[in-house]
Amino acid sequence: MMDDMQIRDAAIDWLVRQRDPAFDEWEAFGDWLAEDPTRAAIYQELAALDADIGDWFAVAPSPVSAPDPVSGTVRIAPSSLSRRRFGGWLGGAVAASLVAMTGYAVLQSRPDPYSIETAAGERRSVRLADGSSIDLNGATRLILDRRDARVATLDRGEALFTVVHDDDRPFIVHAAGAELRDVGTIFNVVRDGGRLSVAVAEGEVIYNPGAENVSLPAGRTLMVRDGDAVVRRRAADPAAMVAWRQNRLVYDGAPIGDVAADLHRNLGLAITAAPDVAARPFRGAIALERNDDRFLARLGPLLDVTVERGQQGWVLTARDK
Amino acid sequence: MTTSGLEAVFFENRDRLLRFLAAHGAGEAAEDVLQELWMRVSAAPAGPVGQPLAYLYRAANNLMVDRHRALRTSERRDRDWSDAAGATVPGVSDAPGGERVLIARERLRHADAALAALGPRAEAVFRRHRLDGIPQREIAAELGVSLSTVESDLRRAYRAMIELKGRLDAE
Repeated sequence: MMDDMQIRDAAIDWLVRQRDPAFDEWEAFGDWLAEDPTRAAIYQELAALDADIGDWFAVAPSPVSAPDPVSGTVRIAPSSLSRRRFGGWLGGAVAASLVAMTGYAVLQSRPDPYSIETAAGERRSVRLADGSSIDLNGATRLILDRRDARVATLDRGEALFTVVHDDDRPFIVHAAGAELRDVGTIFNVVRDGGRLSVAVAEGEVIYNPGAENVSLPAGRTLMVRDGDAVVRRRAADPAAMVAWRQNRLVYDGAPIGDVAADLHRNLGLAITAAPDVAARPFRGAIALERNDDRFLARLGPLLDVTVERGQQGWVLTARDK
Repeated sequence: MTTSGLEAVFFENRDRLLRFLAAHGAGEAAEDVLQELWMRVSAAPAGPVGQPLAYLYRAANNLMVDRHRALRTSERRDRDWSDAAGATVPGVSDAPGGERVLIARERLRHADAALAALGPRAEAVFRRHRLDGIPQREIAAELGVSLSTVESDLRRAYRAMIELKGRLDAE
């Protein structure tokens, strides 16, 4: 008869083996469970904990573990850095491109930067020498390099990158001190109001490959706020991420403060959120239009706020009770 | 395999799946859980399923663990109804409140510390396995250690996580 400690250790072994997608000893596992009714309870508790562990580390994946590079006792193969963090389905292509990347930075020639800017409410598209294109939203400043079409720095604002993928030359975007590396991709980056948010519509992007090394596959967004070490990821509708180009902003719980920043960028409207509503989440779609009065009249009820004229433009505040 | 192919395997192995669910503690609800399992499996996006029976067993296993997790969460919610932080739900956005971010960061710090306390090898083994999803055999090859070393490191790491969870829940 196994005691609880032995059951727990055996349950850990099952859990570990079951993580292998090819695990097929479910009958034997069922027999093991059936032997003693306490086993299922202990296993489930442990499996639930295992899921919790995933959440703990998903909040802000810590730097890739290379515990003691000096002694060389633990070596992490660069070929497989975190490629399965989101499940085992990312194939060898990703690993291969990661290997190819490692030697790349050294080869870059001296940079020759230039910048492209848009005013609030203005939009521009840029086509790069390699066939990649970048759509700039309003109030955006992007720095490109004449010598290297594969790097861009988003100084502020919002840009949608449609990148022609090249295994040997990953496209790299710098924003808010972070590095984003594409793995064949359409992705949107916002650098505004103290936040960096990245949304991947197609392919995959790697956030800070040299540090946190967070992989973002299609349908995922990532958000970091300035001065906050926590990197938050969540699922999102890829169509919603790029809807701004069709003059629609789609939200699934974004704080109203961010919505106001988006409206400023997209429409050139001077609009901010008062502290009493800035953190309140908003779910829904906002259709943009150029007629400010009509737009603002619609906006209040939609966001459930009052739109007031302040000294520096429009202010979203809580509705009178 | 198409959904109809999967359906055939499901009905052929109905009794085995029922037995599995019963062993998993489904008890008298096993029939209902089996229904739920089929709803889940048939609602999932159609894709190639290599080993349909293993796939069904895995789905059954996940379902039982999810049920356990949901039950535990609702029990906790009843207990700490005033807990502003609540539980993080995977795939759902967290409230923008700073409190939860602090809690999450704190939890991560504790988890990192608990792993570091195991020593560099066991920490690396656990991260490679649990966070990167690398099979044990590959980890053993990567680190140049035996499979049984990897197994025992993982057991130690999980024990440390169980211990940490106990401490976090007690706070």
